[in-house]
Amino acid sequence: MKQDTAAKMMIISSCIFFGVALTMGILTALKFVVPTVGDIEYLSMPRLRMLHTNVNLFGWLLQANMGLLFWILPRILHTKLFSEKLGVVMATLYNVILVAAAVCILMGKVKNVEYGEIPAPLDYLVAVCWVMFAVNVFGTVAIRKVKYLYVSVWYTLGAVIWTTFVYITGNMLSQMVSGVNQANLIWFYVHNAVGLIFTPLGVAIAYYLIPKQLNTPIYSHKLSMIGFWVISFVYVWTGAHHMIHGPQPHWLQTVSIIFSFSLIIPVMAVITNFFGTFATAPRGTRMNGPIPKLLMMGTVYYIFTCLQGPFQAIRSVNEITSKTDWVVGHAHMALFGAFSYYAMAGVYYVAPKLAGRKLFSDKLGDLHFWMMTLASIPFFAVLWIGGVIQGFAWLNPANTFVETLEALKHAHWMRLASGAVIFGSYFLFFYNIMQTFFGKYGEEVAAETEVAE
Amino acid sequence: MKKLDVERSLILTAVGAFLFFAVGAALTTIVPPMVSPQMWHSDHPVHEYTEQELRGIDIYRSEGCVYCHTQQVRKLDSDRRRYGWRLVEAPESESWEYVNDRNNFLGTKRTGPDLARVGGKYSSEWHWAHFKDPRNMGEKFPNRKGIYEKVSIMPSFAYLTDEEIHDLTAYIQTLGRNKNWRVDKNGKPLNDYEK
Repeated sequence: MKQDTAAKMMIISSCIFFGVALTMGILTALKFVVPTVGDIEYLSMPRLRMLHTNVNLFGWLLQANMGLLFWILPRILHTKLFSEKLGVVMATLYNVILVAAAVCILMGKVKNVEYGEIPAPLDYLVAVCWVMFAVNVFGTVAIRKVKYLYVSVWYTLGAVIWTTFVYITGNMLSQMVSGVNQANLIWFYVHNAVGLIFTPLGVAIAYYLIPKQLNTPIYSHKLSMIGFWVISFVYVWTGAHHMIHGPQPHWLQTVSIIFSFSLIIPVMAVITNFFGTFATAPRGTRMNGPIPKLLMMGTVYYIFTCLQGPFQAIRSVNEITSKTDWVVGHAHMALFGAFSYYAMAGVYYVAPKLAGRKLFSDKLGDLHFWMMTLASIPFFAVLWIGGVIQGFAWLNPANTFVETLEALKHAHWMRLASGAVIFGSYFLFFYNIMQTFFGKYGEEVAAETEVAE
Repeated sequence: MKKLDVERSLILTAVGAFLFFAVGAALTTIVPPMVSPQMWHSDHPVHEYTEQELRGIDIYRSEGCVYCHTQQVRKLDSDRRRYGWRLVEAPESESWEYVNDRNNFLGTKRTGPDLARVGGKYSSEWHWAHFKDPRNMGEKFPNRKGIYEKVSIMPSFAYLTDEEIHDLTAYIQTLGRNKNWRVDKNGKPLNDYEK
């Protein structure tokens, strides 16, 4: 089988799912301002929201990350992918599951697990795909032709191991218990889905792309080590911070708050390392084209989201921000702002290599970056401002609930407007990548392929 | 002696990453129900759901009500006062109240109000009209009309069959009733729940 087929399949497919997910997002935002739009069962707001999160997480981000790693790992390890056939089978199965899952969600056949709505037996099949991915990752590392494992490999190995337990706990074990105990397992899953799947995979990709793109060695090896080993210890404790002031044991809340705060350590280690690499790169060329820009902005969003997290977990701050639009803004900045930016940078980097020619248009890539970034800043900001307004409005018992909702009208309009620009800029990205793969443009030269040895 | 070099070994990296993770994973998932049995055990009588209410729970889940409505009165004055009713504050939610919930709907987002103590606050007739059209509840509830018409962004669930709305309402009327919280100053039950 041709080398990198699996990577190509998954990257193209993930770009399509990205569009589907953003469509669901914009429709949901529309329903917040005009709730009577599309008033039918299959387009009701909660169904769209479930589809938005699941397609984004599994269809776009996880798939893009897996596809990128299928390409990156063999290059780091100077070998071939362990089994291209297994990769292709897994990519096919995974996409079939995703389509079936989307249909189930639209029909309302769902689990009560946030981010894990995909019902049985499809969720078991997702786990099967994950095991197939794990076999390929471990196999590729085992047949490597270099002695040392690079940082990206540590993070990928970690993600593969951690996610297996996190996914099974959240999707299968949680269904066997009830009440607050179930809630605890579900939030363990929800939080670690972000923290132990998308964080390590995104950071792994950035650890490869930043030094490679800037042609500069990574700033500090020691910081890489601190970042990795501390995150593997502290992240997993934090799930219960979604239930602060709620009915679960007080000690569990306190534990999650303490560990949420200690997350500042690994995050700062990683960010210092990334910025340090940017700072030591040649000045003239370090921001050329969309790739370094996306990596830089993704890192900036990563700082913001990871500083918000620990402070939101403090009891007094949580009283205002929890359950409001603020949290929606926070989640968007982590998954869209930080990790989708890294994934898009990865797609811009790997797609031309897979196609064997240059990116269709760097200018279009720059335009996509600026449109998306300039729209995403107000997008996040209105969610936070709206969330704080909402939080304080709830504190005053003189406000009826509908009055506190009315205060958010402008924020919801603004979210729709800025979301629409983000949605528009996606098409620039999609067009650029599709042209790179399939378009007919003159520049067949400069086939700067990097063949694995 | 050969130096132990983690970065050269697939096994050491993988095992190390797993062990570091396993400490926190075990202490936050397996240990809590052992240390705090109130997470799954109740000393008080807890309502067993009827067939109809269980169907209602399935509808509540597949319609995704939880994405806008939490089911927890937090340990905050603002929550207790806002979700109280007719001059009685809502008591905070306690973990034993949920032990029979095979599907928990504690939730993380409040676009609409909390539903932890909503059972008995509104008549089933009110719920019927509200599910059909949250922005125009008809002639029977004229005083609700003005502000709801303008502001509510709840989707209309008019596509549910009559039977489904009955099932869903039956479930909603149980919420928060494991604790008989409608009591006067002397602790005597008021028994003023709506049917």
